[in-house]
Amino acid sequence: MSTSLSKIPPGVQYLFDREARSRRWIERQVMEVFTGWSYSEIILPIFDYADLFALGMGKEQAEMTYRFTGRDGKLLALRPEMTSLVARTVATRFRNRERPIRLSYSGEVFRWDEPRGGRQYEFHQTGLEHIGSDRLEADTEVLVVAIESLEKIGLEGFTITLSHVDFFNGIAENFNLDGDERRQLQQMIDRKETEEINSFLEKYADEASRRAFCRLVTLAGKREILDEACALVSNAKSRAAIDDIARVYRIAEEIGTASRIDIDLGDVGGLDYYTGLTFKIYAPGLGTALGRGGRYDQLLSKFGSAEPAVGFSLCLDWLAQLLAEKLNGATTHEDETTRLSTDGDIVSVFKEATRLRAEDRRVEIKNKT
Amino acid sequence: MPDLTIAIAKGRLQDSAMEMFQCVGIVVSDEAVQSRRLMIADESGRYSFIFVKPADVPVYVEYGVADAGVCGRDVLMESNADVHEPLDLGFGHCRLVVAGRPESAERGYNPLATARVATKYPRVTADYFQRRGVPVELIVLSGSVELAPVLGLSEHIVDLVETGRTLRENGLVIIDTIAQLSARLVVNRASYHLKRASVAELINKLREAITRDRGAGENG
Repeated sequence: MSTSLSKIPPGVQYLFDREARSRRWIERQVMEVFTGWSYSEIILPIFDYADLFALGMGKEQAEMTYRFTGRDGKLLALRPEMTSLVARTVATRFRNRERPIRLSYSGEVFRWDEPRGGRQYEFHQTGLEHIGSDRLEADTEVLVVAIESLEKIGLEGFTITLSHVDFFNGIAENFNLDGDERRQLQQMIDRKETEEINSFLEKYADEASRRAFCRLVTLAGKREILDEACALVSNAKSRAAIDDIARVYRIAEEIGTASRIDIDLGDVGGLDYYTGLTFKIYAPGLGTALGRGGRYDQLLSKFGSAEPAVGFSLCLDWLAQLLAEKLNGATTHEDETTRLSTDGDIVSVFKEATRLRAEDRRVEIKNKT
Repeated sequence: MPDLTIAIAKGRLQDSAMEMFQCVGIVVSDEAVQSRRLMIADESGRYSFIFVKPADVPVYVEYGVADAGVCGRDVLMESNADVHEPLDLGFGHCRLVVAGRPESAERGYNPLATARVATKYPRVTADYFQRRGVPVELIVLSGSVELAPVLGLSEHIVDLVETGRTLRENGLVIIDTIAQLSARLVVNRASYHLKRASVAELINKLREAITRDRGAGENG
């Protein structure tokens, strides 16, 4: 009996004391930054119709949701992500509001995904969506907000990799790849398998441009790699993508955040979903991205309102893990606590306690020893 | 603090891997290799090596406790780890095959009957048979897989074959080749960006060594 009671299902967690405090602290700091950029919070339901998520994130991804049947027999799912919920709300209920709409959210999402890299089935996402603008200002804004959030919570040494899906799309179109070939090339680039890419491209390009292409998709860097990329690709789509990255990078240079940004033309993850600039956030001490974002201009149309959007989210679990040591102690207020013993007159103890509380002081009622 | 921590698969690939690192000037003393320490530094102090079971290499690298690793493609296919795979190191060549007794090879797979397959690679095996529409019953073993069809535990096996000698000596034949394999360099996704200079340097050095080897092989 006792063993089965203490057993916790894999992939979920109980957090208390220091862990709970530092999480809430991080969440508050980040949400304050979002508010500072005029994002207003939207609180979303924990579950919704399963179809909604299938529509938003694609059938394959939606397979990973926890599903159950509602009383009316409809299939429901625990939210595996927030963006579909936000997009559906904006496309239906905010139809007449002025654009752009800036919304932020923070909460747990649930995914039955093979547990790897320390990922849980339940994790906490804090993020924002900027809906209704197709302008580069929106992309830049989201990136700048992300950087400010991470700086505010004191995350050290983080790097944001900046990419654009059209760099790859332009090349794939140029080579006339069919769906299968495209996926194959995409997968090779994603895993940076230089030799496989090189032999795959043999029938499409000469050796010099193959070598240059392999270099480009496997080496991230600063502004200089954009010049290299420009010299290499001639199709309009890839060129426009390089141009977008260059413009955002230039702004980052001007406002002094370029040192945080690494350009990565070989990031081809999430191509089915993202439609423009994308970025991922990495920090020392974590083997996987702790946040990601980008432009997704196709999603809203699935919910009946064709309009552009860009957003990003941070994984609060990873942030809490990375900052655990740093926040240790910083978020407790033990020293400021006034301890009142009930040894004496209990009435006066509570009188004193409520007086201190009225001054917003921290109290602890100690039991008689 | 070393620049990079590199996980090396113990066993079959270890010596060739360390030879290759030595070729590019990353030298680990014999004494250190023979010691029982699990973590050893190279002579420059820039690289730290850990020696782990092959199947654990993708785990260490995916979590980022090792920035890079050397292991066989078989291990990567089985683990499905989310890592970069920038180099085919050009040694440790072998094949992942389906094998069985000659009579089962002649019969082929019967899509109506469940194939009983013994293997150390359950994920790859299940994937291979499912793609062919053959129902499969996996018997997961951790060694001497060839024994299974000999003793009638399973009809087929899925296993690594280098020379084919073990199969022959046990009266087994190759039915199909699932993949050609060799040793790979894998790199953690975060390290790839956060330690870009060191990672790029390592990849370039190793790539040059591989190209040199290949050139030498072709000429000789």
